Amino acid sequence: MNDLRAGAAVALAIAGKDARAELRGRQIAGSTLFFATLVLLLFGFALGPDARRLAEAAPGLLWLAIVFGSLLTVARLHQLEAEDGALEELARYPVGRHAIYLGKLLAGFAAILVLGGVLLPVVGILYGIDLAPAWLALAATLTLGAIGLAAVGTFYAGVTVRMQAREVMLPLLMLPVIAPLLLATVKATTAALAGNPLGDLAAWLQLLLVFDVVMVVAGATTYGHLLEE
Amino acid sequence: MPQTTIYVAPRTREQTPPPAVATQELARLFGRSAALAGVSLRVEAGATVALLGPNGAGKTTLLRILATTLRPSFGTALVDGVNVAERPDLVRGRMAYLSHATALYDDLTAAENLRFAAAMRALPDPAAAVGAALGRVDLTADADRRVRGFSAGMRHRLALGRLLLGSPSVVLLDEPHATLDADGMALVDELIAGWKAAGTTVLVASHQADRVTRLADGWARLDGGLLVQTGGSGVSETAPAMLGQALPVANA
Repeated sequence: MNDLRAGAAVALAIAGKDARAELRGRQIAGSTLFFATLVLLLFGFALGPDARRLAEAAPGLLWLAIVFGSLLTVARLHQLEAEDGALEELARYPVGRHAIYLGKLLAGFAAILVLGGVLLPVVGILYGIDLAPAWLALAATLTLGAIGLAAVGTFYAGVTVRMQAREVMLPLLMLPVIAPLLLATVKATTAALAGNPLGDLAAWLQLLLVFDVVMVVAGATTYGHLLEE
Repeated sequence: MPQTTIYVAPRTREQTPPPAVATQELARLFGRSAALAGVSLRVEAGATVALLGPNGAGKTTLLRILATTLRPSFGTALVDGVNVAERPDLVRGRMAYLSHATALYDDLTAAENLRFAAAMRALPDPAAAVGAALGRVDLTADADRRVRGFSAGMRHRLALGRLLLGSPSVVLLDEPHATLDADGMALVDELIAGWKAAGTTVLVASHQADRVTRLADGWARLDGGLLVQTGGSGVSETAPAMLGQALPVANA
């Protein structure tokens, strides 16, 4: 029990430190939001003014924008550690490796949740969709999707943080792994917007939950090896 | 005249204090080149030892292995009797390391950087420890300034302040005088003297041989990844048996 409490304290301290650093370096968070919004806008231009077509494509476009934004977010959170040898120092503290992973994951989750929380109404406005009736189902989908993205992103950001070509390698490694998550989040969002809370939606949310559990456990047990040379 | 028998107790392992640091044939390869090529070194508990040698001698590699940052390619390294490769988690709680990089977060203030380090070390009274550390390195007035605006010397002093959080039994310093002005160098000397007085084992890698040997009990010279010479007290080349003695003292 004490180990659990100590691990939670470490994870919260790391997440708090990352959040503080990100909020102070506002240009990074701002540019990620701007980039993701721009992606939605350009997708809208590419699909044309057909409202029905836009509404049908909205779930996929929303989650692509969240995925692109997540790539920048998790990379940035690890970049904080790569500057000035901070990652080595972090690895030298007498704390569990899983707690370090969970701390970085928590910071990533919070950032992706905020990103999705901003992009959802943007999608509603740009593509003319009424999100209000489905807000609970959308919130559940966003939460589970953000956990999965943060879990995979944190692990692969750890893999690539010491690489020269990390900006290229992170999406190359991460995108194939999150394909099931992308499929499940898009389907769940589509079901939620179609007002189908007890049918397909529940099945896709269950798939997301399983994906999250597997990725979090896999990340927490293997992340420690990435911190050693 | 009655014969007097004098009983001499046999020398036991318990009478020989375990070394603070012991390495045996320690080697580390980077690709096909060996940064460390079989170093066997023993540093007694409480000793202050200068690690000397030219660039590329293997000083930093040795310290990074002892600090659990690098895994050895071959050989064994013990800190306080604990094998760094087998139980790095135990070593981390007993050791503090100052590296070339200051490892600070630029967007956090000086106090926030140390508070984070205190949280990672689970100190019982982090606020007091951080305040004392900032005072010791003369950064109290800059406690609430972001590190991004600090000079190289101030960053270095803040990194030194981080070493004062907690009570490590072994302190590893890699070029601690680098980037510091005269006052900063004097501060490093004072800190080393303080650790020495407290019985903390200190290993200092430095190019400033005169300065660190003045502070140290002994010295070890590395060259080309090999231990070429030791001198003074508290440091010696490890005999194979010594490492065997150190192993049983590992505890959780």
